[in-house]
Amino acid sequence: MDNNLLVRLEDLVNNPTARVPVCLCLDTSGSMDGQPINELNEGVRLFYEAIKEDETALYSAEISIVIFGGNNAECIADFASLELQPNAPKLSAGGMTPMGEAVNMALDLIERRKDEYKDRGVDYYQPWLVLMTDGEPNGDKSELSRAINRTVETVNQKKLTVFPIGIGAYADMNVLGQFSPKRPPLKLQGLKFREFFAWLSKSVSKTSQSTPGESVKLDVEGIKGWGEL
Amino acid sequence: MWKMVQCAVQGRSHIKTDIPCQDKTYTLVKNGVNVIALADGAGSAKFSHYGAERITRFICDDFSENFDSYFAAEDGASVKKELVSKIVAELDDLSKELNCSLKELASTLLFVAVKENQFILSHIGDGVIGYLKDNDLKIASQPENGEFTNTTVFTTSKDVLATMKLIKGNIGDIQGFVLMSDGTEVSLYNKREKKLADVLKKIMSLCLVILPQKMEEQLLSSFESVIKQATTDDCSIVLMANDKDSFPGYKNLSNVEKNKLLDFRVFVSKKCLRRYDEILKGLECERTLKDISRIIHLKPRFTKKHLDKLLQLNLIEKKGTRYHTIIIMN
Repeated sequence: MDNNLLVRLEDLVNNPTARVPVCLCLDTSGSMDGQPINELNEGVRLFYEAIKEDETALYSAEISIVIFGGNNAECIADFASLELQPNAPKLSAGGMTPMGEAVNMALDLIERRKDEYKDRGVDYYQPWLVLMTDGEPNGDKSELSRAINRTVETVNQKKLTVFPIGIGAYADMNVLGQFSPKRPPLKLQGLKFREFFAWLSKSVSKTSQSTPGESVKLDVEGIKGWGEL
Repeated sequence: MWKMVQCAVQGRSHIKTDIPCQDKTYTLVKNGVNVIALADGAGSAKFSHYGAERITRFICDDFSENFDSYFAAEDGASVKKELVSKIVAELDDLSKELNCSLKELASTLLFVAVKENQFILSHIGDGVIGYLKDNDLKIASQPENGEFTNTTVFTTSKDVLATMKLIKGNIGDIQGFVLMSDGTEVSLYNKREKKLADVLKKIMSLCLVILPQKMEEQLLSSFESVIKQATTDDCSIVLMANDKDSFPGYKNLSNVEKNKLLDFRVFVSKKCLRRYDEILKGLECERTLKDISRIIHLKPRFTKKHLDKLLQLNLIEKKGTRYHTIIIMN
């Protein structure tokens, strides 16, 4: 059949799939020890699985993970598709909450990845930054204020979508709110990481199939079941 | 004389969500002006398929009436302004008819108008305009995307004037033009190298020798089976090819010309060419392999080799067990 066609498979050019860069910036400080870190690990694992099961998202989504615990921020997974980086990392909790340092690292990674896309002629969607914490930042104050300013500026320039998520009763919702000029931070109901990551993977999948002029409505209503606005 | 061919197919994601195909194409030959146009309706604008349809028709009509005055205008900026204000006025009328906002009718717009030895082309938004010159496919206008892949400029955007492209010139050795939407770009435009797929040359040359209706059928079938499968977006294309030497039909070609058309690397014998003449003539009516084998007095397994070659060259088509000539014979 194919041989009789005017245009055959071998006639097509090979363009790379447009990417959706998603950076997870996760609190792994001491207070996350025990059930919270276990639930977070399970949530991230399910997120990876859901993305891998979606034909378009698998090739589009590029995930990076920055954690903040110990004394410093650390990038434990740089941007790559889940085809190349199929397994979710195992996180462990301990130490301080250097949130500002972590967000600055995440923003640097996003900028660097965007430059790489441009150099290689790869199209991309607006990057996403998911910021999750169960406490209040206790890293360098100037780093925190630089991170807040950079995030707000980038969001206002429509160059980043940010999802600040508070976990448990002690999450500093005020600081999280400062990172998000357009949308109030969400508070996770209990430890319902799985529901959040299920929603996130669906949203990534939807975005990866969007076309020009199609404003992808991030269905915040749909996540009210697990979060509190 | 210019030959035109067009097609637009609904993307896989629109089939799933029951949204109509938002890619629209239109061609017009009027007052000695040949115009082709393509518009890709904005993703979530509810009536963008109506906007795209109206604007392709409007621009073809407008250029068939006013080509000379546009071409004569020295100041491109004022032509752009005039065009944008006409486009917006047309969409404004449509928005009143449909009782919707102007934004709901947003689309990209690509078109080429040719009159005698002159052309004008223009481009708003993404998609690609290419042309064939000296057998080399070139880009006339690249896609205008924002930083992110799902952002572009539309007919109704504020910054339309700043990004709209408008080019005029002489046809000279230009053999054809092609317009494609971003869905088609995925398969036929190499974004990294900014190059068009070579198969477009083949489509343009076949455009001159295949019966127009059959050409559209062939193009549509390729888009449904191949192009559309590489993306979830709607896909569309419009081509116009310069029939400078006016194809006289297969039967009126010299042996040298037949040899070239049948893609023989070396000059083949008259006997061999005659066999192809008989097959193509015999297949002016639909026939099976057995039928045609009887007509040309050749065993079916040898006849099939000739038929396969003609199928490969897209000069005949096969539906079920029946073959049919689609090249213009007279």
